[in-house]
Amino acid sequence: MSTQREETAPRTADLASTGGVQQAEPPQFLNAVMGIAVAVCVVVSLVHIALVFLHVAPPNEITKRYGAQIDAWVNPFFEQNWRLFAPDPETATRQISVRTRTTKDGVAKVSDWFDLSAVDYAAIENNPFPSHTNHNMLRRAWVAYLETHGNDDQPHSERAMMIQQYLRNIAVQRLTAHRRAPFEAIQLRVITKPIARPAEVGNSRPAPRPVADVRLLPWWAVSNDS
Amino acid sequence: MPGLEPTGAHTTEANKRRAFDRLSALGTALTEQPVSLYAAAALRIGYGLFYLVFLLTEFSHRDEIWGPGSPWTPSLANQLFEQTGWASILTLSDNRVYFEACYVGAILTSALFMFGWRTRVTSILFAIVVGSFHARAVYMTDGGDNLVILMAIYLVFTACGRRWSLDARRNRLRARPDAASGWVLARQTLTTVLHNCAMFIIAAQICILYGAAGFYKVHGETWGNGTALHYVLNQELFRPWPTLSSFVDSLPLLVAVVCYMTVLLQVAFPFVLFSRIKYPVLAMMLGMHLGIAVLMGLPLFSAAMIIADAVFLPDRFYRFVADTWQQSRTANWLVRRRSQIRWHKVPRQLMRPPRESVETPATQPSDDSAIAGK
Repeated sequence: MSTQREETAPRTADLASTGGVQQAEPPQFLNAVMGIAVAVCVVVSLVHIALVFLHVAPPNEITKRYGAQIDAWVNPFFEQNWRLFAPDPETATRQISVRTRTTKDGVAKVSDWFDLSAVDYAAIENNPFPSHTNHNMLRRAWVAYLETHGNDDQPHSERAMMIQQYLRNIAVQRLTAHRRAPFEAIQLRVITKPIARPAEVGNSRPAPRPVADVRLLPWWAVSNDS
Repeated sequence: MPGLEPTGAHTTEANKRRAFDRLSALGTALTEQPVSLYAAAALRIGYGLFYLVFLLTEFSHRDEIWGPGSPWTPSLANQLFEQTGWASILTLSDNRVYFEACYVGAILTSALFMFGWRTRVTSILFAIVVGSFHARAVYMTDGGDNLVILMAIYLVFTACGRRWSLDARRNRLRARPDAASGWVLARQTLTTVLHNCAMFIIAAQICILYGAAGFYKVHGETWGNGTALHYVLNQELFRPWPTLSSFVDSLPLLVAVVCYMTVLLQVAFPFVLFSRIKYPVLAMMLGMHLGIAVLMGLPLFSAAMIIADAVFLPDRFYRFVADTWQQSRTANWLVRRRSQIRWHKVPRQLMRPPRESVETPATQPSDDSAIAGK
């Protein structure tokens, strides 16, 4: 007899018998409560799966009408983020650099660029177990910046302000870990370099060299305590 | 034709009864037979170990990711919680000592969850830990972390401590009288229903995951023309072994095949689960994730996915693995001890490997009858 059967056998026997002699009969109301509980479990499970499905499904008639309710159920605890490399992997690489400004005797002095992305690349190379700090921190902060700011560098929402602050903190932390000199403000520069298309079969001529896009962000003041 | 009418009525009656029988059988199974207890245990051990490894490998980065010194400051995190409704035990205080205590607590909770000690309570603590760490650094997470938080929540409702756990060991050692009162029965039924529903949700969630990942890719131009992998291989963030990545990238046919296989596998996944094709598909999924782990340097992401796939393996597979492991362990023990054992003194019964040792209760009835016989 397996453990599983041992657990279930006495129960089945008890539920089947109408006049249990040694064992107490489950009270009537308990049976009713159990029936309701079982039904609730099943219904909640099915509804949950349906809502999660609708949440990840492409926009449709149902999500147009009930999108808010679906999101309210799924977020935040059942967040669904399955878009790694989808619909397309990024076809460009990004190099994010930072420079600093200091003012001495009324003269502003600007440093040369410090490559923030290079810190990640160096940490990832030949590392079988790269850290989340190198894979996700700068990458996701920049994606979030693009999502909240678009092409204009003015934060129009509370979330945009938060992301800007986050990006600034990352830059400041990495910079101070490598350079000791104090500074008053920082500026970020993002160079987006498209990845060359694969050489076409039977065509020995290499694909045309893609042109990089340079985006210069505004200067952000850095308070000394942060 | 009046002669046919009774037969027709008869068959509808029989059909109705058959449908009703099936429905009530389903109801009995739902309330009385916890499904896939071994798979649930595998998920518990898998995700407990996963989080333990995660916390230990990120130990030197802990402050940067979750601590008071993170660029995503505690006040930013709290501001986000107000907007999203999340919460985290980590932002209750900015104190450094409090954070370190939470970290140690998280490590202990993950270990206890893995070992299945007081599993129901530990599983709730584990879900709180995973949720807190996930929410504290939500801009640091990827799909793997997303899956782990979902699984941590779903596992709370399963009976994942019934097998391969300290709880199971304790129950085995302690002979407990079966006092089946109405309340005890009700509790058992409720536990079973919750477990079955949660396992069903876990399976459905994984299908939705793969289905969504596959369908999103179908829209992608680069997956369609079979060059997506080329771009992934050239992402500096995802090429820990540049020579290996360049080598794979230099084989355009392989790149195209892998692209199509990835999309096909993911889209097909929910539809193959009800047939025997699921085993080769699961094996290919395993291969795909091992490839991602090594080639793209995403071992934790891959591990989270591989553990999730384990839910689709049947209990007889896990029992086979356990038996094999037990036997090989016994064999190894014998090999190691061979020089020390005085063979003429070993009773004959002990020399046979204990086949039934995994399912200890299986031997109990015969023991009892042997005692009764005396």
